[in-house]
Amino acid sequence: MSTHAATVPAGLPAASTAAGASKALMIGLAGIVVTAAGYFVSGAHAIAMSWLVGVTYWTAMAIGMLMLILIHHIFDASWSVLLRRQFEHGLASFKWLALLFAPLVIASLLGTHDIVWPWMNPAGEIHGGHTVGHDPLYLKKAVFLNLNMFIGMTAAFFLLWMWLSARLRKASFTQDKDGDVKWTFMNRKTAAFGLPIGALTLTFASIYWVKSLEYHWFSTMYGVWFFANCVRGALSLGVLIMLWLWYRGDYKGILNNNHWHSIGQLMLAFTVFWAYVTFSQYFLIWNANVPEETFWYNLREINADGTPNQWKYIGIIGILFGHFVVPFLFLLSYRYKVTHSRMRFISLWILAVIFLDICYNILPALKDAHGNALPFFSLNLVWTIAATIGVGGICIWAYLRSFPGAKLVPICDPRIKECLTHHE
Amino acid sequence: MSAQSYGLIATFETPAAIYHAAEQVRDAGYKHWDCISPFPIHGLDKAMGLKRSIVPRFSLAGGITGFCTGMSLIWWTGAYDYKLIVGGKPFFSPMFAFPVSYELTILFTAFATIGGMLFLNGLPKHYHPVLKYEHIKRGMDDTFFLVIESRDPRFNLANTKGLLEKAGGRDIKELEA
Repeated sequence: MSTHAATVPAGLPAASTAAGASKALMIGLAGIVVTAAGYFVSGAHAIAMSWLVGVTYWTAMAIGMLMLILIHHIFDASWSVLLRRQFEHGLASFKWLALLFAPLVIASLLGTHDIVWPWMNPAGEIHGGHTVGHDPLYLKKAVFLNLNMFIGMTAAFFLLWMWLSARLRKASFTQDKDGDVKWTFMNRKTAAFGLPIGALTLTFASIYWVKSLEYHWFSTMYGVWFFANCVRGALSLGVLIMLWLWYRGDYKGILNNNHWHSIGQLMLAFTVFWAYVTFSQYFLIWNANVPEETFWYNLREINADGTPNQWKYIGIIGILFGHFVVPFLFLLSYRYKVTHSRMRFISLWILAVIFLDICYNILPALKDAHGNALPFFSLNLVWTIAATIGVGGICIWAYLRSFPGAKLVPICDPRIKECLTHHE
Repeated sequence: MSAQSYGLIATFETPAAIYHAAEQVRDAGYKHWDCISPFPIHGLDKAMGLKRSIVPRFSLAGGITGFCTGMSLIWWTGAYDYKLIVGGKPFFSPMFAFPVSYELTILFTAFATIGGMLFLNGLPKHYHPVLKYEHIKRGMDDTFFLVIESRDPRFNLANTKGLLEKAGGRDIKELEA
């Protein structure tokens, strides 16, 4: 029988996060400045792609947290009540992510509109001397892929995410004070309509922002692939937050082995899910062998003259082994799932390979004069890392700024006792 | 004909009582003993000093076997025994062998897990000495039993009986093998 329960040290004032928050803000701003400086070295298109990687990466994390909270409520889950509170703080980043996305929209309104997404310029030249405006594959998709739709949809995505976040945060934080169970029911309703909204918005966001960089391409798995990355990223961040709060002392006596085991199991499940989806996408295209689809992978494997490029090795070593085989074998073990140092290692690992995966999907849009993808290891990687650190700093700042605004543990949640005595 | 002794059985009324009794028997160093409960008691495995089950090792072995079976099945049939070109693809590629290997990994893992669990539990078992005990059916309803086997090196009729009494056990009876 679990004996740790009854005493909830959540009423104690949490140690201040102000110093950490300002440090995160400084690092974030420094990253943004470095990325901006890259404009004068590598040009607007390269910087736009780097910035897109940074914004997509951290928006994926926030979406993952949003989806995990919604899933928590729809299943009336108990063990994840603790972690849910931290994810609720994570949702504070959405409004800043919307702001950080704005430069990409502004860039799309400037000049020939194709600084970021090539299909926005009808006069843009494509393979074979034709222009986008006369490309049948573009014209068929033009209802969906046009500047007004893009801006309207992107604004709608962020507004919907912020609205869902505001509802979830308000209900959960107010319940801390009045203990009214109606907030739990409100969250459950939010989850019921929020999940389809979340699924649709994240799918269309990934199609608009990332997939449309190669607007000729077809893949019905894209949104699911993005969702898998979102959730894997959010779970890994969840582990890092749990470790942070454990070693700070806040979670001592609150977390037990079974919390670690449970989140580890979810990480393993989503590793397999990610692999299933990503492999399905690759396998169907490989098997059908249709040029309209295979070109996307060819770009990431060979140059026009048939020689392999760097992305081939990123794909095999980074994506296949790094994103699937290593985390899969690692997370199979119970012992690894309940050992702090190992969970820290695999969470950082997964966060790194998600970065690699986002790069793999975005950066080959940067091409040389022969239409070959520019290599991964180049100056562009510096800007991409700087942009990711920049956006990340702002997101972590937003999280830490929200952190003191609510109790460490949602002590009035009806499931909190089950959570604190979580067992197999 | 005197029946051989299987061990001692003691009765407990509450989950807490058997939980604490289990801790004492564990600390006394017994190895061959067991608790009988109508329902799972959280933490009893720890109180009994049980390690985590080794069923996952059977699962892993099953999974690896399944994966290799799938890969070699596709290779054997399509690239070795009867070479066949399908859809202009190579005779063998891990790509199209993967769905089959994946399915067989799951299937063999499931078989190995179920089989390993049954094997480690010694199931199916048609007879067990405690079934002779007249009140054993209450172990499926509202009563808890603790059984210490006489094959345990620490087993000593008088001392073990004393331990069970001290741990709060009632109606301590000797079981026939």
